[in-house]
Amino acid sequence: MAQDTSEAPPGIESARSADILHRLRRKHRDPEADHKHPVNVTHYETASLGERLADQLSAAMGSWPFIIVQSCLLVVWVYLNVWAVFIAHWDAYPFILLNLVLSFQATYAGPIVLLAGNRQSQKDRITLEHAADESDKGEVQINRILVEIRKNTALTLQILNELEAENA
Amino acid sequence: MAQEAEMPTGRAVVASEHKHPVNVLFHDEATLGERVADKVASGIGSWWFLGIQSVFIAVWITLNVEAVVNHWDPYPFILLNLAFTIQAAYTGPVLLLSGNRQAQKDRLRLEHTAEVAEESERATIAILEEIERNTEATLKVLEHLQKRRAAKA
Repeated sequence: MAQDTSEAPPGIESARSADILHRLRRKHRDPEADHKHPVNVTHYETASLGERLADQLSAAMGSWPFIIVQSCLLVVWVYLNVWAVFIAHWDAYPFILLNLVLSFQATYAGPIVLLAGNRQSQKDRITLEHAADESDKGEVQINRILVEIRKNTALTLQILNELEAENA
Repeated sequence: MAQEAEMPTGRAVVASEHKHPVNVLFHDEATLGERVADKVASGIGSWWFLGIQSVFIAVWITLNVEAVVNHWDPYPFILLNLAFTIQAAYTGPVLLLSGNRQAQKDRLRLEHTAEVAEESERATIAILEEIERNTEATLKVLEHLQKRRAAKA
């Protein structure tokens, strides 16, 4: 009857959170990593073609390489049209064609930003739905624990009655 | 879980400023590019930026309308237009950059939630099993008492 039910040794908590941190670190920058959370699985691993494309598009445009390449192109364009002597200036000051090109980029950037935002809000919606499911599940578990404790209390009361009858 | 869990020490979280593992990974362990991205996003998305931009535009237009200095960009301000376009051409990608960072954090947060949920489910089941064992023991105590009373009677 006297079973050993010693508690987990101190420090096990931090060992667990170290494990968690370690596992998270591996997934941190890899969207292709396997996901554990159902919402992440749904969002990343079962995304449709259009959704994948949207993710890749926003990942590509929202990256340092994009910004750096754009800056280089800008400088080269201006340089060639102001100082270059070996080719004809196709877009002299005030760079009206460059203006058009950049406006063109901005015209697409807006919708792409919204595309990415919509993906995120879709994910947020699924996250909340999942949280609601989880909370239902948690309630069921808590109820089971409560029922079990009530049973225990009833037994303890019976024991008390026995003892009181004995001592009366 | 129950008590405050000590952050693991070692190379993992050197000079950690955050407590939550997701913040540790996301902020304390951000790469240079990620740090700069965060700084740029918070710089552009600030009242300071908006204020300075507005003053800059007002000064530009005033100087090119009023006869103070040589008008380098007279009406309809074609160079100013180019400046606006360049700004817009950069804010788009920066917006996406910052959005991608947030999405990355969201992904990480959910993974963390899943890890923690697994732990807490294990704990809940352990509690239930422990109580069931207690009930069994209590039941046996009751049976012993009843037997004793029956023997006395």
